Amino acid sequence: MKRIKILLITAAAIFVLSLAFCFWIIRPAQTNTVEIVQDGTTLYRFDLNNTENQQIEISYNGKVNTVLIENGKICITNADCPDNTCVHMGWLTAEGLPIVCLPNRLVIQYIQSGEADAAG
Amino acid sequence: MKLFHKMTAIILALSTCLLSACSDQSNHTARYRDNPITRNVFAMNTYNTFTVYDDISGDVLESAENQLKALESLWSVTDEQSEIYAINHGGGQSITVSDRTAELLRFSLEMAKRTDGNLDITTYPLLTAWGFTTDNKQVPTDEQIAALMQYVGYDKIFLSENTVTLLPGMEIDLGAVAKGYACDLVAENLQANGVTSAIVSLGGNIRVIGSKPDGSDWKISVEHPENRNSLGLLSLSDVSVVTSGAYERYFEDESGKRYGHILDPSTGKPAQSGLASVTVVGKESKVCDALATAFFVMGLPAAEEYFREYGDIDFLLLTENGEIYLTNGLKDKFTLSEAYKNMVVNVIGQ
Repeated sequence: MKRIKILLITAAAIFVLSLAFCFWIIRPAQTNTVEIVQDGTTLYRFDLNNTENQQIEISYNGKVNTVLIENGKICITNADCPDNTCVHMGWLTAEGLPIVCLPNRLVIQYIQSGEADAAG
Repeated sequence: MKLFHKMTAIILALSTCLLSACSDQSNHTARYRDNPITRNVFAMNTYNTFTVYDDISGDVLESAENQLKALESLWSVTDEQSEIYAINHGGGQSITVSDRTAELLRFSLEMAKRTDGNLDITTYPLLTAWGFTTDNKQVPTDEQIAALMQYVGYDKIFLSENTVTLLPGMEIDLGAVAKGYACDLVAENLQANGVTSAIVSLGGNIRVIGSKPDGSDWKISVEHPENRNSLGLLSLSDVSVVTSGAYERYFEDESGKRYGHILDPSTGKPAQSGLASVTVVGKESKVCDALATAFFVMGLPAAEEYFREYGDIDFLLLTENGEIYLTNGLKDKFTLSEAYKNMVVNVIGQ
């Protein structure tokens, strides 16, 4: 009887481990790392969970974009460009489109987004 | 005693099934890359990304990038070498264009008819007056708008085979259809080169090829226009998804009134149809692109009417007062994000 119980407990343990293994296999990757890319060159990478609040000025052919990192979030607050679309885009979100300043060839994006594969 | 034996056997069998299922998934994904190859391209006045999971050579992405840039050089409004520039500056003369451009023009005119002119590629003079094509955003006077309206109207474009003629003063802009058409062509190119699992993103134009490497649907986030958080996720395979709204390209006057870049061709002013954003889902990206703009101008009742008449697409509309309207085909494909789980979702049947 005791051997049967041990066998049953072992089988149950194998079952639980199998479940855990499957969840581990299909788990979504989580990251809060963003990169700032200009004209194909990565200028900065930040883990927003571990980055102090700061303001960065990035120049491109004499034009400047001001990037703000605040409380684990990132956005462009000012841009020397005609349309200011990048400023209107507000804070970068993990499941949204990257922040893009077309005239100044600047992109801010998550290295790996959240649950979404693409955003529209 | 026998019961214990049975229970043990059942638990072990279940474990075997579980591990086997996970192993199947690993086998399915084996012919794909763990990390996709991506290519980012600035072209067609937007930021484009190709993400491919198949094990292909970089030449395939190079070819897609070159194709996109070639299409841009055909359809740019500002490039003096482009065919659209030649048409716009033809001074009333007939201009012969390539098959690709002629095909896109024919498609644009067909969609303009289908949408009763709510999609119209001739609003460029108005866009210029509002400053959306220049550095100087401004609110033109009603007189200025009225004077320019004589140059607006898709029915004033003469297209015969590959020959295009505009009345002097008219200018066309393919901004509402070109990205969609380019998205279709790039996707076709990738598929012809063996790609079976990929995402082509041209700004807000998404075309997903096949399904994810594990065989499941792609998750496509629909942005909330106010804060760019995810309104919800669409789970889809092998389709196009295009979203339009005036929440990024706009300007404000001294009083804080906001003017969006999507103009209503019937008034010459920014569209005010009560919609905050429009997402269209369908097989062809060019159709989705054209309809996303048209629906934004038309508003909900006319979009519903279009759906009931043609039914070749599905859509998800977010109204300015925070309600969602989606067509029946998306009912089981769309999941609201946790932050918006209490939003009202209305389903439109055919």
